[in-house]
Order: sequence, then structure tokens, then C-alpha cells
Amino acid sequence: MNAKATYEEGELIHLLKQKDEQAFSYLYSNYAGALYGIVKQIVTDTEVGSDVLQEVFVSIWKKIDSYDPSKGRLFTWMLNIARNAAIDKTRSKNYQQGLRQQPIDDNELSLPVVRPGYDDYGLKKVILKLKDEQRLLIDLSYYQGFTHDQIAKALNIPLGTVKTRLRTAVTQLRTMLS
Amino acid sequence: MNVKEYISSGIVESYVLGLVTDAERQEFEALCAQYPEIVQARAQFELSLENTLSQDAVPPPPFLKEKVREAVFPLAAEVSDSQSEYQTPVRHINWWKWVAAASVILLAGSLIWGLNTNKKYRQAQELAQQNTILETRLDSAEKQLNELNMVATTLQKPEVKAASLQGTDVSPASFANVYWDTTTKDVYLLINNMPAPSTDKQYQLWALLNGKPVDLGIIDNGVWQQKLMIKMKGVEEAQAFAITLEPKGGSVNPTMEQLYVVGKL
Repeated sequence: MNAKATYEEGELIHLLKQKDEQAFSYLYSNYAGALYGIVKQIVTDTEVGSDVLQEVFVSIWKKIDSYDPSKGRLFTWMLNIARNAAIDKTRSKNYQQGLRQQPIDDNELSLPVVRPGYDDYGLKKVILKLKDEQRLLIDLSYYQGFTHDQIAKALNIPLGTVKTRLRTAVTQLRTMLS
Repeated sequence: MNVKEYISSGIVESYVLGLVTDAERQEFEALCAQYPEIVQARAQFELSLENTLSQDAVPPPPFLKEKVREAVFPLAAEVSDSQSEYQTPVRHINWWKWVAAASVILLAGSLIWGLNTNKKYRQAQELAQQNTILETRLDSAEKQLNELNMVATTLQKPEVKAASLQGTDVSPASFANVYWDTTTKDVYLLINNMPAPSTDKQYQLWALLNGKPVDLGIIDNGVWQQKLMIKMKGVEEAQAFAITLEPKGGSVNPTMEQLYVVGKL
């Protein structure tokens, strides 16, 4: 698997859709780290994280034909696959038993899950700069994959407030990222 | 709809991060197709997100790449296996299949040969046509050259007399020359300047002998403007020459009201 030095995104997508092995190798070399980063922030355990990342690349390979460039960048598409795969993993029985993950309706839910000094890189590093209430919402929705409805019920705040706060939080993310 | 407000509402980031409901996603995608500025805002956020996550990438365990490769490429191997199954029957081809294959090849070959031959035949025909055209052109060029040579030699002969035909009141600017070979009796006309006649009329050259006109022929409208000199009908004797404008095809007697040029020998 010797990867070509660089691919232009359109060319890479075209080659991936043609199931080009070299393009896949390139994809792994260039994106595995970024995707592993998001996976690890959700599942934390290295072994589980590796399993998830493998699933993610198998999914990318299988689903590449359904990727539609008009709906966003390739990375965004892969990032969402990685995030969803990791969240799915945290919800599996084995994972829950292993880590004794607290269910959504637990009282401890209100504690901000994003902790400084532990996994404060990438997106979380940025999220740490948000207000606690915003950070909590991002954590629950983005890293734990709960719906707005679920969050509203769990935190006992109106759905509209959840939405408004989340929108404000992500708007701030944009400013912080750029 | 206020696009700016929509963009700054947080929908763009929520969409990219996957934090929207199905309805919101559908609406966002529909609006993207309509407003390029939304797409631009989306692309901007996507890129900054990608950059941040790439900068803070976490290297996965080194063994994982090989593991992923093994997990991914058996799929590819299966695909190529099932493809190669279609290729194996080559060994089971019977003699008649060879015959059929050979016939197909022969047929294809003869078709190609036929098409080629047909093409060559058409090319040859085209060349022949072009040849004919060139020959015709050469003929006419040679003819013209011969005429010019003849005219030139004719003009140099001492026995050739020239008549300068001047414009009349009908057409004062008109001017022509007639050369008459007193030995061969040939008549040549050189039109220096005469107005182009309408399509239903033609100029006609006359020789005048003792006040009587002798028809020396009509001047072809297409020809007289191109040619330097026109050979007309010969005449035994002449004192003067004149050109009148006649109805197409010419007249038996000249229409004197339409006398354009006239000149004595």
C-alpha cells in the first residue's frame, strides 16, 4: 500500500468510487488520525477505539458510492460516519457493561463530560472554551448522540431552549475554529 | 427568506456536525441548492473543522493500518473472484465455437476490407472528379492564354487595323476598341469602359459598310467584363464599327437610339 503523495479531493473521490486500492491507502494515511481523534473522544478505550476505526474505514469503503459531494466535503461525511460508529459502540451492551456507562436519565448527566486535561484536543479543546451549559449540550448531542428531545427531557428544560442554546454554541464554535 | 440570518442561526454548523433533525437537514439541503452563499458558509465551516481535527489528529496504533487493509480488501478480492469466474469457460469451448469465432473474425475482416475498399473507391472517385475539374480549368486557362497570344500577335501584325469607338450622347463615358485583321478578316473587340447592361439586354457589335450595318455578334454579358479581348464574327469589309444595346439575343437591325459607341476604321 504505497500511497501517492497528494490527491485533489475530486480525484480522490473518483478513484475511491472506482475502488482504487492506492486511493484507499492514501485515504487511510491522511484521515485515520483525525477520525481516530473523534472516535477516541467518544469511546476513550484504545482497543475499542481501534475496532471502531476499522469499522469506520470498512463503512467508508462500502458506502463511498452513496457519498454525495454536493452535500458536503468528504471529510465531513467520514467524520459523521466515525462519530456515529463510535456512538453506536458506546450504546452496545458489551460496551455499557464494560464501562458501566450511565444511561441518559441518570442524575449525573448534568455534569459536563468534557474534562480539561484528559482529551482536550481537536474539537473538545475548542468546546472547553464554551460556557458550561453550552458545553454540556454539545457533549450530550455531539459526543453522546442524544436527540434534542431526549436532552430536553433529561435536563428538564424546554425543547426550544435546547435548540437555541445549541445553535448559539455551534455558532461560537465557528468563530473559535476559524 | 433572510439568508444572512439563516446562515448565522447556527444551522450551518449544526448540519455539518450532524446535529439536525431530518426535517432540518432536508430544508438545509434544499436551501443549499438555491443559495450559493449557504453552500459557501457550509464549506467554510467544514474546512475549518477539518483543519482543526487534522492538526490535532491522534495517530491510531500502527498495526491498525494492516488490519484495516485486510478487513477492507477481502471485499475487493471477492469481487475480482466473481469476475474471474466468467472468464474461466475459455477452456470448455467446443470446435464449433472455434468455427463460429473464426467466422465472426472472417466476417469482421471482410467487412473491414469491404468498408476500406468502398472508402478507397469513393476516394478514387473524388480524385477523378477533382482531376476532371482541374483539367477543365487547365483547358480554359490554355485557351485563354492561346487567345491572348493570338491577340498579341494579331495586334503586332501590320495588316491589323484598329478602330477607336467613342461614347455617344447616350453614354459619353463609354469607350471600346475594335481590331480588324485585313488578311484573315477576324474582328477582335476590347471593351475599355461600358456600363453593365441589365439582364434582359445585351450589347451587339456592328460593322458599318456604306451606311449598312453588318451583325458581328452579341457580346455575352458574363464574358465581356472578364475578358481582355473578345473575338467577334469576322467581316469582309468595314468602314466603321458600332455597339448598340439590344434586347437579349440581339437584333437583325441595330437600335440606333441605343447606340453606345461608334468609331471609324
